[in-house]
Amino acid sequence: MLPGDLDKRSIMMKKTKITRSANAHSLRIGVDTGGTFTDFIAVFKDHQLTFKIPSTPRAPEQAILDGLIELTRAFDEIDGESDASRVAMDIVHGTTVATNALLERKGARTALVTTAGFEDVIEIGRQARPDLYNLSVTRPDPLVPRELRFGLKERITADGGVIVPLKQTELAWLREKLKRAKVESIAVSLLFSFADPSHERAVSEALEALNIPVSISNQILPEYREYERTSTVVINAYLAPVVSRYLSGLTHALSRHASKRGGSRLRIMQSSGGSISAQVAAREPVRTILSGPAGGVVAAMQTAELADAGDIITFDMGGTSTDVALCRGAARTTNEAQIAGLPVAVPILDIHTVGAGGGSIAHVDAGGALRVGPQSAGADPGPACYGKGTRPTVTDANLALGRFAGGGLLSGQIKLDEERAAAVIDELAAEMSRASSERVTRVQAALGVIRVANSNMERALRLVSVERGHDPRFFTLVSFGGAGGLHAAALAGGLRIPRVLIPAHPGAFSALGLLLADVIKDYSRTVMTSIENSHGHPREIERQLAALEKRAIRDLRAEGFAPSRMNLSRTMAMRYRGQSFELEIEASGDCLAKFHQAHLERYGHADPQRTVEIVSVRLRGAGITEKPELKRAGRVQRSEAQPQRSALVWLGEKRVPVSVYDRAGLKPGAMIDTPAIIIEYGSTTLVPAGWRASVDRWRNLRLDFREEIKRQKAKGKRQK
Amino acid sequence: MDSIKLEIYRSLYSSVAEEMGLSLRRTAFSPNIKERRDYSCAVFDRRGRLIAQGDHMPVHLGSMPMSVRAAIERCDMCPGDVVILNDPYAGGTHLPDVTMVAPVSPAHPLTRSPALLFYVANRAHHADIGGATPGSMGAASEIYQEGIRIPPVRIVRGGELDRDVFNLLLANVRGREEREGDFAAQLGSLRVGARRLLEIVDRSGFKEADDYARHLVDYASRMMKQTLMAIPDGSYEAEDFLDDTSESGEPVRISVRVEIRGARARVDFNGSSPQVRSPVNAVEAITVSAVYYVFRCLIAGDVPASAGILEPIEVIAPAGTIINALPPAPVAGGNVETSQRIVDVLLKALSQADPALIPAASQGTMNNLTIGGWDERRDQEFAYYETVAGGMGARPGADGLSAVHTHMTNSLNTPIEALEYAYPLRVRRYAIRRGSGGEGKYRGGDGVVREIELLVDACVSLLADRRRFAPYGLMGGGEGRRGSAELISGDKKRRKLPGKFSISAKRGDRIVIETPGGGGCGASNDRTVRETEERKRNKRK
Repeated sequence: MLPGDLDKRSIMMKKTKITRSANAHSLRIGVDTGGTFTDFIAVFKDHQLTFKIPSTPRAPEQAILDGLIELTRAFDEIDGESDASRVAMDIVHGTTVATNALLERKGARTALVTTAGFEDVIEIGRQARPDLYNLSVTRPDPLVPRELRFGLKERITADGGVIVPLKQTELAWLREKLKRAKVESIAVSLLFSFADPSHERAVSEALEALNIPVSISNQILPEYREYERTSTVVINAYLAPVVSRYLSGLTHALSRHASKRGGSRLRIMQSSGGSISAQVAAREPVRTILSGPAGGVVAAMQTAELADAGDIITFDMGGTSTDVALCRGAARTTNEAQIAGLPVAVPILDIHTVGAGGGSIAHVDAGGALRVGPQSAGADPGPACYGKGTRPTVTDANLALGRFAGGGLLSGQIKLDEERAAAVIDELAAEMSRASSERVTRVQAALGVIRVANSNMERALRLVSVERGHDPRFFTLVSFGGAGGLHAAALAGGLRIPRVLIPAHPGAFSALGLLLADVIKDYSRTVMTSIENSHGHPREIERQLAALEKRAIRDLRAEGFAPSRMNLSRTMAMRYRGQSFELEIEASGDCLAKFHQAHLERYGHADPQRTVEIVSVRLRGAGITEKPELKRAGRVQRSEAQPQRSALVWLGEKRVPVSVYDRAGLKPGAMIDTPAIIIEYGSTTLVPAGWRASVDRWRNLRLDFREEIKRQKAKGKRQK
Repeated sequence: MDSIKLEIYRSLYSSVAEEMGLSLRRTAFSPNIKERRDYSCAVFDRRGRLIAQGDHMPVHLGSMPMSVRAAIERCDMCPGDVVILNDPYAGGTHLPDVTMVAPVSPAHPLTRSPALLFYVANRAHHADIGGATPGSMGAASEIYQEGIRIPPVRIVRGGELDRDVFNLLLANVRGREEREGDFAAQLGSLRVGARRLLEIVDRSGFKEADDYARHLVDYASRMMKQTLMAIPDGSYEAEDFLDDTSESGEPVRISVRVEIRGARARVDFNGSSPQVRSPVNAVEAITVSAVYYVFRCLIAGDVPASAGILEPIEVIAPAGTIINALPPAPVAGGNVETSQRIVDVLLKALSQADPALIPAASQGTMNNLTIGGWDERRDQEFAYYETVAGGMGARPGADGLSAVHTHMTNSLNTPIEALEYAYPLRVRRYAIRRGSGGEGKYRGGDGVVREIELLVDACVSLLADRRRFAPYGLMGGGEGRRGSAELISGDKKRRKLPGKFSISAKRGDRIVIETPGGGGCGASNDRTVRETEERKRNKRK
């Protein structure tokens, strides 16, 4: 499967020849930093490479640079010339730096400047408790403690009038206070700043001399609702020093690395599924909170569409955590997301994360229960079987059950030490035995670890599906991430999801999504005008949209997009006057009629008599990026695949012979005998008996749950 | 019964209720519904038994089933009908809470006698429902002063809105346009719920859907029984008081005796004061809701909000008393104030049974503030309603939360930037009332200070409690600070105001509300011990 000649050092890669001639003048790279591995996908001339190397959590840029050097060399070798080391690099990066800093509360010492009398708004929140019937309910502490919140005597009203002007003496006082507070970052959120940003601007100017990064609410999120806006800008300020330090370090290192080339460009994936420049990301890190997982969702959507898989639930199991998202028709974004219990009101893909992954550590708790995660062995020390770790993880349990079928990880790049895994699982079994006063065997302990880990992940899948009223029986599970393949079928079975799709390169799938995503720039302006007739919209609206369009074109051009590669879409946020929530209506044709219709469909009623207002006009500018083409097999012939060998694997408490396949050797149309284990670079898939496995024309591995399909057929309810 | 399907249906039905809520919030017009989420949506089976309710307002939880029952009994609903009601003496709780109930039947209304498969219902608190004071939450001695009373009547017949009924209603409330929009939002939300339920039936068949509705009720009942089994058998008594004075001159007493016997409980409110001529009377539905809330909190983990929860519990609420008032007693505050005190009393009683679980008293009031008058900017009437959070009682093992709604409510605040846009009011201060929580090994949460300036002359009402009797502490913990209200006139004169009042105030006047803190838990001198322990533990980490 693997071109061994590429393996000069420790890194192995998977190479695919792509048919379309990509832009010969640049090397396009998607880099996704995960908790355990950093995944790469790179496209140069006719070739595509995917590979992964261990992450370097303390300095994530290290793994990135190592990878870049490696892949340049690899391309040069394929090429025979050294073109790859001479051309410009175009990098899209999915990063977890912001997420981790927020989750672990390791952001900057941050001050908050508010209107006087409202310093506690971020502590009061919306005055509600997160859990209704729980007497021990808790709320997360605010990111800025009381003593670092400063109130300014100033006041703007709802219509943008100034009733208490902001005096210079106030600003001088503030400057003095902030100097003494020794903060690393400052958030500014004054009441009604979206109606009149002049006071926030004055604060920002007055603080310039301090040389501390300042996040301003009307720039990050010029929208009403002071708590949500303040929370968002505080998170931004809290993350800004950490993220900008990281990105400037990375940019610096890249430019050194790329000094001999035509240069390099770095883009960062946003939580909404499009990328932005590194400069914007450093200033507005709150937009990158789900940067990593967003790539996977973008790629999954695309793959599912090509494979005609209908509605999907994405299942991205990595070393440290698992991300799931449900996509019906389109990936949904929300601006009512909560991360670590704090509202983030910028658009974010609706993704749910749990702390369960291949590296999740298993232990017996005080009450004698077997727990798995949320602590993870991460990349360092990693699971015991990687050679350094000393505590049992999910990966160790899988190994102890023989589920890697004698293969290593990354085609042997990481050797798996079976004895070490057996030893830590034995220790766990001994602990379990003590707790239950019954002898627990190694196999029982390992199966227990898998079962508990699966139940954690199943809860996440339920949350996005069942708990939101979507019946899993009508979805396809798209499984990717290095650790997912060993668990996907079991989870799907438990939830009665009839089909699993495991795309090609599941281990570097999020990285692929980074290259599939367009550059997205969102612009909006609050206009707040009533709309009287149904013929077109007022000239003023047209003027505003045109202005936004101009800006978008300018910005996209600055990012190197020719007009032919720009896609601009105009929408208007409309509602009945007096409502608080808008519907987004495409700004063309009879918008008024479209609005009434949309309101009727979505909410069960409409009232053409009521005045409709346009709250804001929005423009989304997409820079259409050069995408690696997913290859489709021309002719698909059904054929029984030949297993490479057979291995003895514990499935349940029985050890049974399982056919082992090499995924690289499976052609489109290949039918696979189950139970089976399919080994490939970056992932291993377990297909239990009762499932049918095949390879589709896009080289996706497709698992069908026979029993569920039969059941659905029998009920005559099989849809799609 | 299949345990996975049970879980799926539980989530399905509650997601229908949640989606109804989302639809209501997104299409409503008054800030109290769209920003504060003062509403609940629920799904009932064909027998009218609750099978799911969104996590909205606990006070609605136990009381919505009575609305549905009243609608079914009095209106003989047909497909396409919607019944509206708010009469506390006929399925309602207090007048501003208007409930709509609709039967769900298959999509083709022309089939002969189509079966009613489910009922959907929603209840929203309207910022005004008429009566003597804007906001309909002012001082009153009879229910007739509190607003228009709507017994269960059809507002939609066979899919057609009954304009006559609708106009009658709208003629009796302030802010007609806003009200009209909110009613439309409620009707739309019912349609959204019905549509989702019919999708479920289409997919899996009515038999399965109905079977699992029944299983959900049984399941919740089993869960409740298990919980009761774990509480030591015995009889636990407690009493507490409202600030109001009864006709005998005594403070209004709520007393309860909780008897736990195996898997059953009996909650007896005998000994509570007779009903009074001020609006703190609670109708039986409120009392049942409070009982429901407290016992549901005792169930570890998640349990479907279904009729089964109350099945093993018997509630004895003597008629004519403060916890089961008869007409024409005014009831506006029963829902929001007395309900909180009933919870305090129940928890106090249960703390004897399981001290390790029960928190000290929380603020014990919702601080209902209503301001209404003529909005000169828009040339129209306005009615603003808000409840203000306070301190949560300390838990045995954790401090109480500050500035949070507790027990029977969980409505959000009105964002200042929404409030000032909608009403001629200006918020001058919104802060945590530091030091108002009770002392103790674990401290009670702090209350809130909210100061609002009037930009026009207006009528201001407050309906609040815990101004005389402070929230209690437990196991030696201190009391939370009592609440207070003040009027600061344009000329800077300060005037203390009682817990319940309706006054005419002038443009430029400011109302300052300080809400109670929660009670503490454990003796104060144990706090130093606890802090030392925690420091040590942190160091070790």
